[in-house]
Amino acid sequence: MSEFSLYLLQQLINGLTIGSTYALIAIGYTMVYGIIGMINFAHGEIYMIGSYITFIVIAGLMSMGIVSLPIILIIALVVAMFMASTYGWAVERVAYRPLRGTNRLIPLISAIGMSIFLQNAVGISQGFRDVALPPMVSGGWAFGNPADFEVTVSYMQVIIFAVTFVTMTLLTLFISKSRMGRACRACAEDLGMTNLLGINTNKVIALTFIIGAALAAIAGLLLGLYYGVVNPFVGFIAGLKAFTAAVLGGIGSIPGAVLGGLILGVTEAMTAAFFPSEYKDVVAFGLLITILLFRPSGLLGKPEIEKV
Amino acid sequence: MNQFRKTLLGLSTAVCIMGMTAAAQADTLKIGLAGPATGPVAQYGDMQKIGVMAAIEDINKAGGVNGMMLEGVIYDDACDPKQAVAVANKIVNDGIFHVVGHLCSSSTEPASDIYEEEGVLMITAASTSPSITEKGHQMLFRTIGLDSLQGSMAAQYILGSAKPARIAVIHDKQQYGEGLATAVRDQLAEGGLKATMFEGVTPGDKDFSALIAKLKKENVDFVYYGGYHPELGLILRQSAEKGFGAQFMGPEGIVNADLAKIAGDASEGVLATAPKSFDQNAVNQARVEAIKAKGEDPTGPFVFTAYAAVEVMTNAMTATKSTDTEKLAAYIRANEADTAIGKIKYDEKGDLTESTFLVYRLHKDGSKSPAQ
Repeated sequence: MSEFSLYLLQQLINGLTIGSTYALIAIGYTMVYGIIGMINFAHGEIYMIGSYITFIVIAGLMSMGIVSLPIILIIALVVAMFMASTYGWAVERVAYRPLRGTNRLIPLISAIGMSIFLQNAVGISQGFRDVALPPMVSGGWAFGNPADFEVTVSYMQVIIFAVTFVTMTLLTLFISKSRMGRACRACAEDLGMTNLLGINTNKVIALTFIIGAALAAIAGLLLGLYYGVVNPFVGFIAGLKAFTAAVLGGIGSIPGAVLGGLILGVTEAMTAAFFPSEYKDVVAFGLLITILLFRPSGLLGKPEIEKV
Repeated sequence: MNQFRKTLLGLSTAVCIMGMTAAAQADTLKIGLAGPATGPVAQYGDMQKIGVMAAIEDINKAGGVNGMMLEGVIYDDACDPKQAVAVANKIVNDGIFHVVGHLCSSSTEPASDIYEEEGVLMITAASTSPSITEKGHQMLFRTIGLDSLQGSMAAQYILGSAKPARIAVIHDKQQYGEGLATAVRDQLAEGGLKATMFEGVTPGDKDFSALIAKLKKENVDFVYYGGYHPELGLILRQSAEKGFGAQFMGPEGIVNADLAKIAGDASEGVLATAPKSFDQNAVNQARVEAIKAKGEDPTGPFVFTAYAAVEVMTNAMTATKSTDTEKLAAYIRANEADTAIGKIKYDEKGDLTESTFLVYRLHKDGSKSPAQ
């Protein structure tokens, strides 16, 4: 392959990885929206908390003398998912449930407040500076001619890509096939009627938040390991990008969130590849506006049905 | 109502005058110390405090200045321009005429206008923005070099010692980083080395893989980065993962132990322009020990510039046998001073005539050594 096509391939791989990281967070956004029609702006912060918990658990296990990588990762994943789910549940209980059924703007403001609260609470307890972790999963494949241009794919990139697709598939199956998933869809259609028919909607909504938070924790673990750095503000930027991805793909649609994430990531990488990289956000968000002009409900979203 | 207001005004004026005369007659001379004691950059404020307090202690031990003992009074501006103005007004109201500070350039600039108007002598030990001394203030000096000097120093080093074939200049689009990067690019061009790439990254970004792939494709062997350590740390870490092995260089903003924490082994050998490590100077060894004995850290970049700021003031006080700020400023501008940071001279604007920066090589354990 020529140098140019190798370069293009490398940028495509980079873009797909960045896109997968957006998608992983976007799935949580889109699921909460799909079921209760509310944007959970604190989702990015749950992701950030997931990263912190991962770092703390890994540091703790390593200081206890445990060196086996799979054991460390599994324990970190379980603890992070459990703790993040607790946070997700608590956030719903404290900040959203009391406001359910009010004007839509009120829970939105409450979500933003929650997001700022969590950022600062973590900042005060863990410090506002970057916390770093040495590379845990290093190495990868390289191909192409080293004299010309060498394409590298790290194991971490492949893992992120794979986890995103597995999560998307499992979640889609859960929503469409399981009993609880059916209850979720019923809540999405008509909360009051579902309740009348004997389904505990409070439980369903709490579950939505718990699953969303667990997904954010998976993202927090993977991206924490991939970049090796976390600070209290990573959730804000990541959340913004993921929210964009969810809107681009059609908010409420899980495959849409993944598609939106990948498109956003590849657009950014390709823009940075051929133009000065400061233009990548301009192009990416320009694309978002253009798509929303022609498809207001996003790429895979269903047109909005006005709920009463 | 009107009567009441007049009385109040008269009363407060009287209190002010009384306060001022009281301060002037006392046997202690208060030195204001303005900088962030709280907020995100409080650690830099601590360095300044350590230096000033050590200097004041040493001078008092030696008998004070003109028979007066010094006393440091701390004012917190949290590195916030608005708070800096409030602090400056408070210092003026408290009858203090000699200030070390402020720390952040964005605080020093608005505060200096107030001090200039009220005749308060101010020496900043940490503000490096060139624009501060551009206003022609007479009461303003610094004991640290300018940002712009870092750019030319980096460019000279690149042209003279590193001699790369293809160089990229990257920055973080902020005033500090982009300003330095532009200066480096322009001076390299004057020296006959044209930058292959010149572009910005977004502060707070975590993924630089697209940029690194581009650097790799352009066969860049030297990267100058204008910005701070969090972004450069990630760029270094991701470069190592992707097999991109150019030499990196940056300004003082990257000199932070966190760079080594973020980038790990990849931070070994990165070049940086930074203020000279004055804690290595022979003349400061006793002071370093004294500061360590108090359980404080003498190695911060602003500790001895702050120490020197106090010395510059007290030298002038001893020589002119006065605390009158106009006389002091004139003396400081005209005479060389021997301080903790070496012999220093000032130009008309109140800037040091010689740079206090040096090119360092950073190491993966967070330390640094002079580069050659």
